[in-house]
Amino acid sequence: MSAAQLSGQDVETEVTEFLRTKVKQTVAPDEDLFASGLVASMFAMELVVHLEQRYGVAILGSDLRLDNFRTVRAMGALVERLRGA
Amino acid sequence: MLDDLVRELVGDRAGEWDLAGELPEDVLEELGKRGLLCAQVPVEHGGLGMSSLANGEFTAFVGSLCSSLRSVMTSQGMAAWTIQRLADAPQRREFLPRLAAGARAAVAFSEPGAGSDLSGIGTRVRIEGDHAVLDGHKTWTTAAHYADLLLVVARHGDAGAVVVVPADAPGVTVERVADPLGCRAAGHAHLTFDDVRVPVSHVLAGGGQPLPMLVTTALAYGRMSVAWGCVGILRACLAAVTGHAAVREQFGTPLANHQLVAAHIADLLVAERTATLVCERASELWDAGSPESVVATVLAKHVGATRAAEAASTAVQVLASAGARDGHVVARAYRDAKLMEIIEGTNEISLLVLADHAMRASR
Repeated sequence: MSAAQLSGQDVETEVTEFLRTKVKQTVAPDEDLFASGLVASMFAMELVVHLEQRYGVAILGSDLRLDNFRTVRAMGALVERLRGA
Repeated sequence: MLDDLVRELVGDRAGEWDLAGELPEDVLEELGKRGLLCAQVPVEHGGLGMSSLANGEFTAFVGSLCSSLRSVMTSQGMAAWTIQRLADAPQRREFLPRLAAGARAAVAFSEPGAGSDLSGIGTRVRIEGDHAVLDGHKTWTTAAHYADLLLVVARHGDAGAVVVVPADAPGVTVERVADPLGCRAAGHAHLTFDDVRVPVSHVLAGGGQPLPMLVTTALAYGRMSVAWGCVGILRACLAAVTGHAAVREQFGTPLANHQLVAAHIADLLVAERTATLVCERASELWDAGSPESVVATVLAKHVGATRAAEAASTAVQVLASAGARDGHVVARAYRDAKLMEIIEGTNEISLLVLADHAMRASR
């Protein structure tokens, strides 16, 4: 499916799958990725670049806050908001 | 064509610049106004819009002639990238065309109490009405001596911010690093900010991003640029060594016919080819927008810096008395390459990132 047709729910599913391939663990939508130590700053950068490439969005300026990447749900909401913009 | 322009501008003067510790203003101005100090700035922001790969090859060429000039490019490109990523849209429109037109910028990270460990950053910015007020010290800011704008990484509340400060703003002191080990003409300086006031619109996107995210973002470009700069150092060393070994005779035959020297020549070629391929791969991933570019860039920086430091030492060994004076291309390479093992993430920090990546991949 092309990224433009994906719902927010689909984005969450895909991001969960991306994380599973990267950290070899299935995370819950509300799990705090930073608190659990799964994600450090270099990997946060990888997440930024991945979301940009997969969903055709630009994550810039004030959107580069940890809260936007803290959980799968937050990343889904970020993508949805940026695609609507 | 660009290479010809740079060859003409630099000529055989890089040695003089190294000895004098200063790049000529007209060279910086010429490259600056053509947008070549930050050639990756997108066309929509007034830049040349080069790909990472094209800009990398250009960076390597400049680096093969003069690492000080290349360092200024690294700083300018990193400042532009930092603005491109961390600024809001009006700030991008304000600052990026200025940098692409030749206004010069440097990015200030390190402090007396904060190098690899960012938690030690003590420079602070606070908001007072329409102004941002900056206080603190920065050390070893490359290109600051030449800069019109200083991008300062600071604490902002319990997070971070990048503040764009005109170098001539009241309360800013720029003090050159005396006698740096390498890249001697790159204009390294210590900076002091004493109650420096800038419009609040100079805080990129209002700040509030976490410090590690700010620094990781900015350094992504810096690491790629340093990696390609190291390819330039390697090419300069290889050219100097092959040129010398072909004509210098000892024991009745050119040096290249002595097997121990031949091994050095082969080592230099292996290093140059290895660093080039790793850089090309990282730039291709960068241009494709791949998340793999993040670690590939750290790998390229690490391979480039460590190979350049080894190779420069080898090159001095082969040239011996012919290259053992300040200003000579291999002597500069020897000193410049050592600094490349320190800046934009030390060898040790790079290794930690790479080890973390390897452990993650093995899970």
